Amino acid sequence: MLVINNISKTYGTFHALDDINLHVRRGTVFGLLGPNGAGKTTLIRIINHIIAPDSGTLVFDGHPMSSADVVQIGYLPEERGLYKKMRVGEQAVYLARLKGLDKATAEQRLHQWFDRLEIDSWWNRRVEELSKGMQQKVQFVVTVLHNPRLLIFDEPFSGFDPVNADLLKREILHLKEQGSTIIFSTHNMPSAEELCDDIALINHARVVLSGSLADIKAQHSNAPLDRIFIDTVQQ
Amino acid sequence: MNKILLVIQREYLTRVKKPSFWVLTIVVPVLLAVVYAIPIILASRPLEHAHVLVVDDTGLFQGQFRSGRDITYYEAGSIDYARRQLQQHDSLNAIVYIPARETTLPRDAYLFYRSDAPSLTVQTDAQNQLQEILRNRILLDVHGLTPDDYALLTSTHIRLRTQDIETGRDGFLQVKIVVGALLAILVFMAVFMFGSQVMRGVMEEKTSRIVEVIVCSVKPFQLMMGKVVGIGLVGLTQFALWVLLAGALVTGVQLTHADLFEQASSRHSQTEIASKGTEATYQYQTEQERAAQYQAGQGIDNSIQDLIEGLTGINFTMLILLFVFYFVFGYLLYASLFAAAGSLVDNETDSQQFTLPITIPLLLTLLLLPSMVGQPSGSLSTWLSIIPFTSPVAMLLRIPFGVPVWQVLLSMLLLLATFPLCIWAAAKVYRSAILRYGQKASWRDVWRFLRPGSKA
Repeated sequence: MLVINNISKTYGTFHALDDINLHVRRGTVFGLLGPNGAGKTTLIRIINHIIAPDSGTLVFDGHPMSSADVVQIGYLPEERGLYKKMRVGEQAVYLARLKGLDKATAEQRLHQWFDRLEIDSWWNRRVEELSKGMQQKVQFVVTVLHNPRLLIFDEPFSGFDPVNADLLKREILHLKEQGSTIIFSTHNMPSAEELCDDIALINHARVVLSGSLADIKAQHSNAPLDRIFIDTVQQ
Repeated sequence: MNKILLVIQREYLTRVKKPSFWVLTIVVPVLLAVVYAIPIILASRPLEHAHVLVVDDTGLFQGQFRSGRDITYYEAGSIDYARRQLQQHDSLNAIVYIPARETTLPRDAYLFYRSDAPSLTVQTDAQNQLQEILRNRILLDVHGLTPDDYALLTSTHIRLRTQDIETGRDGFLQVKIVVGALLAILVFMAVFMFGSQVMRGVMEEKTSRIVEVIVCSVKPFQLMMGKVVGIGLVGLTQFALWVLLAGALVTGVQLTHADLFEQASSRHSQTEIASKGTEATYQYQTEQERAAQYQAGQGIDNSIQDLIEGLTGINFTMLILLFVFYFVFGYLLYASLFAAAGSLVDNETDSQQFTLPITIPLLLTLLLLPSMVGQPSGSLSTWLSIIPFTSPVAMLLRIPFGVPVWQVLLSMLLLLATFPLCIWAAAKVYRSAILRYGQKASWRDVWRFLRPGSKA
């Protein structure tokens, strides 16, 4: 679905990404792991064409990726935000229309999703009246609403209580069943272990470990993923 | 729908739907008008009629007090008698008492009242009459001048009219100063106000991190321009509503106070005849006019008539068109810079270091307004009205005084040429800065973002 070839990015003298090569297979959940400041967010922004790499190429669905392909991506950033003064429904419709949906379709799909996540009664409330968890639900819905083929979730469970985190986990797996490809960036190793098919560990701007989760675990005598993470990073 | 249109639509609608927009657009001007109207309405309302006894022990004021619309004066022989009357009759309001002095003219007079102090109207009227009567006395007894002589002397008034020698039209310098200064200040405030709204909007998107999601759907440039255009349209809407409101107000005044306008226009035509006719006609006309004014009694101030006459002499359509032009392009120029400033900072306090240099040209022009008013065609005014960063304010100040066409065109062309450069530079800074969190930006960063080939 997405092939990342030799991507490098520097800010002044700081190497944010150094020759990154990754392959995200269609219909899988790909775990993008690594300590803070390793370069995960930079990589995600490059995939989203928010910033341009210094060198390297992206191949999306078999063709060189262009900014026109970004509409096929749904991105839930780690740093989340909504317009605080706008009403929930109005804002969700706006964000959906920016992704190319027409108003009627956006409203119809939003009501379906909001019903499922039990937030439909908040449609006419201002965002600032919502709890953080509820705002995150709204953002999750907005991310997936235009049925993107590639989903990028950056720390999707942060800020959720266990019940809602579990709800979200099931939704993500449901999306995968429906054929979406998912890039999942997290520090939460148990959830990565639970959800991911493949993983890549980035440290100091480089890929230090990548492959299918099963293979990697086998190579490390089935140690828990956080153990593997710590050992690899500290090497 | 095009994405930039969606951004414009959101920026516009979220602001226009706010109650504060309507408060500022409608409620505030209406309140202001009401505040100004209340004293006028109160003053024109007939007062309760007052009855005042006059006791004059000097004999100087005998038979001199004139009763008017609001007050009737009665003469009484002695203060004791008057005092009893005041105590016995509720219909009496006060006594004016002028005690005699042995040698010189009276220095003090008294206004006696019972329980309720007499109204200000009574106090001022009594004071004025005392003064006038005494003065007339002195003039007559010492200088042999009659009140009519005096009236003639004091009514001698020569008005210096500034006229174009070719068209013969009045210059109305003061009206032009007022109109020009108002326009200049209005455009300054509008650019500043809506420019900082752009900055706050950009900062809101940056600090709430929503920009991260939005730049996946629209290019940073589209987001920035959408915001700039959307907020600019809010500004134009506000002006349009103000013009409508003012139009409604003027029509309302015309309907209810038609006399004000009739006098102004009749005087206008009279002076036109006068300027063509002979001296004698002129004198005759003005004397008649003066008499008419005295008869009207309302004494509409010359300055108000000047104002109305001067205003009717100004080409408002042209003025509004030029105002819109300079607002739109001055705003585009400054708002894009404000957007760049907003993208550089995380909070309002940090924004100072970037907003201050941006606003210096505008502030400077505003501070120089008084000296420019003194010489609207001087070199300072001319230069400031041509340089793009100061021209929106400076040119609008000059317009009512008449500006050579080539200067207006040059100023407009330069502004049209400069604003895309500003937008381009602002977009470069914005694109790089909007996704940088937590680092305090400096002017060095700005320079880095602007350098050719700098990538986000």
